[in-house]
This record gives sequence, structure tokens and C-alpha cells, in this order.
Amino acid sequence: MSAASDQQIVAWAKQGHEAAFRELVRRYERPVFSLLYRMVRDRALAEDLAQETFIKVLNGIKSYRPEFKFSSWIFKIANNAAIDHLRKKSLDTLSLDGSPSAETPEQMRATSLQLGDKGETPLDEVESRELGTAIERAIARLRPEYRSCIMLRHVEGYSYEEIAETLELPLGTVKTYIHRARNELRVYLEDRRE
Amino acid sequence: MNHPEMHLTTDEIELWSLGLLGAQRAFHLSDCSLCHDIAQRERKVILELVQLPRFAPAAGFADRVMSRVKVPTPSGDWQER
Repeated sequence: MSAASDQQIVAWAKQGHEAAFRELVRRYERPVFSLLYRMVRDRALAEDLAQETFIKVLNGIKSYRPEFKFSSWIFKIANNAAIDHLRKKSLDTLSLDGSPSAETPEQMRATSLQLGDKGETPLDEVESRELGTAIERAIARLRPEYRSCIMLRHVEGYSYEEIAETLELPLGTVKTYIHRARNELRVYLEDRRE
Repeated sequence: MNHPEMHLTTDEIELWSLGLLGAQRAFHLSDCSLCHDIAQRERKVILELVQLPRFAPAAGFADRVMSRVKVPTPSGDWQER
């Protein structure tokens, strides 16, 4: 089964083979968990969101349309779960600089989020062992929209077009997000080295 | 295709960082210190990104997921696990 395509595995899952469901979990638990972990920077929370993602996907397997990549479908649901959570909770990890589309200081202020009153800073989470390297700290500073694009591009190896389809963003927006994200990462990393 | 003397675009620099840029355009880097410096700095970031590890959820993740998944029967009906 491990050599079969995702489409074939999904077809078997639709036929009621539990092993096919487990194979889909096996294939995507690390990629999905990694994306979510880097988005919310909390292991337990990322695991909860990953479980929600898989349960939603697997229980809705009959609605899956095979003309789309299965990976795009599951990443889309995972990313939406993370973004929804970050928006609802206004987590410290969310950018304080406002919407990426904000172009003026007024727009940035109007769309910016405030830190909670838990006494934690955005750096508290990134000090954890797994996410404590310089590049992980730099990623933590990115806006969530940039972060998911960067993860899909460079960790999962997606093309710009696949990212646009997965995240339902215009291709130009994806390119802008990724280029801005890499610029921010480079500046942060170079500042640390100096 | 861009002329060899034209500066590399952002997309071309990414391709070069990943070893995917055609030789003709890559040759521009040997003649252009501006593009060479930009490309080197960009490549450092990209190489760090592509080496990022994937993390694993805690053991038993699949079992926890499957305990809440309804596997359809071959007849197409849903069977509560």
C-alpha cells in the first residue's frame, strides 16, 4: 500500500478499508503536524489541531474531489484551522504589525492585534527546544500568512501555483508573501550574526 | 529567456539557490557582483529553510485520530467504530 498514489489510497478508503485511512494518517501526520506546530508554536495545541484536521478530512473523505491533490486538500484544512485559531485567540504568536495588505501606518494599526495579558512574550514559545534555533525564531516572527506560504514552499516543496491553489490565494499574492518572508528572515538572521 | 546581461529576477535567484537555474543565466552571476551578493545572501536563507526538520506528533496519534473516524462499510453505509 505504501507504493500506491494518494488517489488510490483515497479510493480504497472510500471503499471502507481502514488500512487506507491509517495509511493517509501515516503519510501526512508529520507534514500536517509540522505546519501546525510552526504556525501555533505550541505542541499540545498543534496536536489538537492536527487531530481535528485529520478527523475532518477522513470523515469527509467521500466529498474529496480527485482532480485536486489530496495533500493540497489536507493542508488547506490544516492551515484554515491554524489561522482560525490564531484569529480567535489573538495568540501572542500572531504578528503585531497588522494585515500584510496594510500599506499605511493607519491601516497597520487598525488591523494589528494586541498581546494578551498572560505576561508572555512571543519569544517565550520559541525558546522551546524544538523551535529554538535562529531560523525557527525568525519564522516565528513572520505573519501567519507568510509562515504557511514559506512552509509549503520550502519544507513541503510546493510550487507557487500549488500554494496558491491550496491556500486559495492569487498567485501574485503567494509570490509577494514568500519574497517578503524571505527578506524578513534574511534581515533577522543577518542582524543576529552581526 | 532573459538576456545574459540582465540582472537576475527574484524567481531566478531562487532557482539558482536550488540548483535549478539554466547555465546561461547562472553565468551572469560570475560577471555581476550585485546579483552575486544578493544571490549568496538569498541562498543562505533558502538552504536553512529546506533543511528544516519535520516534527512528529506524540506516539499514538493515528490511534487517537482513528478512534474518532467513521470508516464506511463496503456497502457505502457508515459504520460507527
